[in-house]
Amino acid sequence: MTGFLAWLLVASGLAVVVVRRRSVVVGIVTVQALVLALAALLEAETTDDVVAGGALALRAVLLAVLFAGVVAQTRERLPVHARVPPLLRGGLAVLLALTLVWLVPDIGLDSRDAERSVLALIAFGVATAGLRRATVLQVLGIVLVENGLALAALELPGGEAAAGIEIGVAVDLMLISVVAVVFHRRIFGLFGAGDTAALRSLRD
Amino acid sequence: MTSREWLAVAVPLAPAAGAVAVAVAPRRSIAAIGLGAAGISGLLALMLAGVAIARAGDPTSGDWLVVDATAGLFVAVIGVVGLASALTSPVYLGLARSELVRPERGERLYYGTFLAFWAVLVAVPLAGNLGIAWLLVEATTAASALLVGFSGRATALEAGWKYLVLTTLGLGFALLGIVLIAPNVQGGLGALSWGSLASLDTGSDQLTVAFVLVLAGLAAKIGWAPVHNWLPDAHSEAPPPISALLSSALLPAVLVVAWRTDRALTPAVGEDLAHGVLVGFGLVSLAVAVPFLWRALAWKRLLAYSSLEHMGVLALGFAFANPLAMAGVVVHVAGHAIAKALGFYAATPLLTHVPAAGGRAATGVGRTCPPLGASMGISLATLAGLPPSPLFASEVLIVAGGFAAGRTWEAAAAAILLALGFLGLGHALLETIAGRARRRAPESPSGLRTVVALTVCAAAALLTLTALAPWLPGSELVEAMLDVA
Repeated sequence: MTGFLAWLLVASGLAVVVVRRRSVVVGIVTVQALVLALAALLEAETTDDVVAGGALALRAVLLAVLFAGVVAQTRERLPVHARVPPLLRGGLAVLLALTLVWLVPDIGLDSRDAERSVLALIAFGVATAGLRRATVLQVLGIVLVENGLALAALELPGGEAAAGIEIGVAVDLMLISVVAVVFHRRIFGLFGAGDTAALRSLRD
Repeated sequence: MTSREWLAVAVPLAPAAGAVAVAVAPRRSIAAIGLGAAGISGLLALMLAGVAIARAGDPTSGDWLVVDATAGLFVAVIGVVGLASALTSPVYLGLARSELVRPERGERLYYGTFLAFWAVLVAVPLAGNLGIAWLLVEATTAASALLVGFSGRATALEAGWKYLVLTTLGLGFALLGIVLIAPNVQGGLGALSWGSLASLDTGSDQLTVAFVLVLAGLAAKIGWAPVHNWLPDAHSEAPPPISALLSSALLPAVLVVAWRTDRALTPAVGEDLAHGVLVGFGLVSLAVAVPFLWRALAWKRLLAYSSLEHMGVLALGFAFANPLAMAGVVVHVAGHAIAKALGFYAATPLLTHVPAAGGRAATGVGRTCPPLGASMGISLATLAGLPPSPLFASEVLIVAGGFAAGRTWEAAAAAILLALGFLGLGHALLETIAGRARRRAPESPSGLRTVVALTVCAAAALLTLTALAPWLPGSELVEAMLDVA
């Protein structure tokens, strides 16, 4: 994977942290996964690489259908404002990414660009899940983390484990996403919005 | 494949088949099919556990599957708690209704998800490979989160959501660790077997980072402090039979994965780091749990914080890793599972007897309903480590193991924290049983008969465990567990 493509993925990951509309975020994480899948298929040298790329593409399409459907069916009257304004969110996410890059030594991927991109995508995913209130966006933060991990699996030297990891992650991510959608629907039904701020009664 | 391997494959397949059968069964036969599948699954689990423990010195260990003494112990715990949870489920379902899905689908969702959860859970200690173990642990999240939020109440949704997001993010970090390990082994996912990991080169920064990421990620699922925030909420808001399964079976099963990873990667990352990570999580978990054990908490919430304490104790037992400490681990895993599950099962009659007990501490239950008070008392006294509780014996063994391993300060700190925890739970025990009862006349409890029957069985099992404890150090079971990976 080229450095340009890796940094394009990072830029789109940062957009997930700051963009307001859920439908746009669904589009971004889907395009990210499809770009990863396409890169994997174009650079495929073994059957395992093709399987890994195929699993990633299938997962991207299925999740896009699932989340686009749920966004369309649970339209909110007012937008769910994040706990933190967009610029500060972006700043915090970049700070977390830089901290991870600084803390984590060489992790053995094919290129240093790929390593930094993986860590940045994970940081942006964690920031999205932690700083945004909308339920759908929190789950998309998890999907962003998994996109980062997919990039790591594809950039492994040899890449023999990539297919197994991609298939397993795709299945697990689908299960988690389906359960998250069940929760989102119920939360939307109860409170009229998929807003996790409504879920803050359990304290000791 | 050997007959033992066939049996190991059948153990998760039986509840999985049960889940499929529940999904397609006519509505009137869902409960019967669910309970029947649970009975068969429990029986198969106990058969496998019996074989694995009886032939502890001759384990089966491959790239995908491992049937050893450790797996046997944890499969037995999952089988027993799973079966007891199934038996207590009809009473719970008779009292509660799900608002997470349409009410007519509640029973099907409950039994189907329960059996699916059981299927992946029981496969976790049998996984012979870090990659497969991770996939199974992640799969338990999906099924169990649905069960945590089963009631559809706002608090249950909050607990289920928190559980889903936090543990999935935590396991994401564990997966990053696995991805970092992968280039160091030759071959695909199958090359991440425990045996392959144990032969990795030493001294690599990359493996050290990977090790910390995997352990920290699994810690989020085990509920070790400081990444335990979801635990008290999920365990207190889930249906009581599910809380029992989460606390008594899921947390220890994931702990086995952490333990196998720790043992397998010790040659690569060094004894100090491998030991230090477990001791760190163990002591921090104990220190965080103790203040909550001193507070007047609602019954299920108190049990949840007790889980945090006991996962800390198990981390220390695994870290000390000598015959004394490992004997303590065996007794602790079994004793904690029985006592904690009993405590959660008692929550169903408790919440009909004193409905306010869902939100505040239950007091004087021994005065208003002696049989229910006895069940809660046996559970809490055991968890506190009050002699003749097997947890008293196991905690003594683990602390003695720490001293015997030359870990004096760590063992001393553990002993002090355990003593403080004992005092907190001891106070809760007195208040729960003999405290001042609420003025309003309590309701008659539902499902008491089942809980009393389980209490009799649990008391006998707990006393047997206490009697066995002194004989365990040096036994074939304990020696085989020390040879893991």
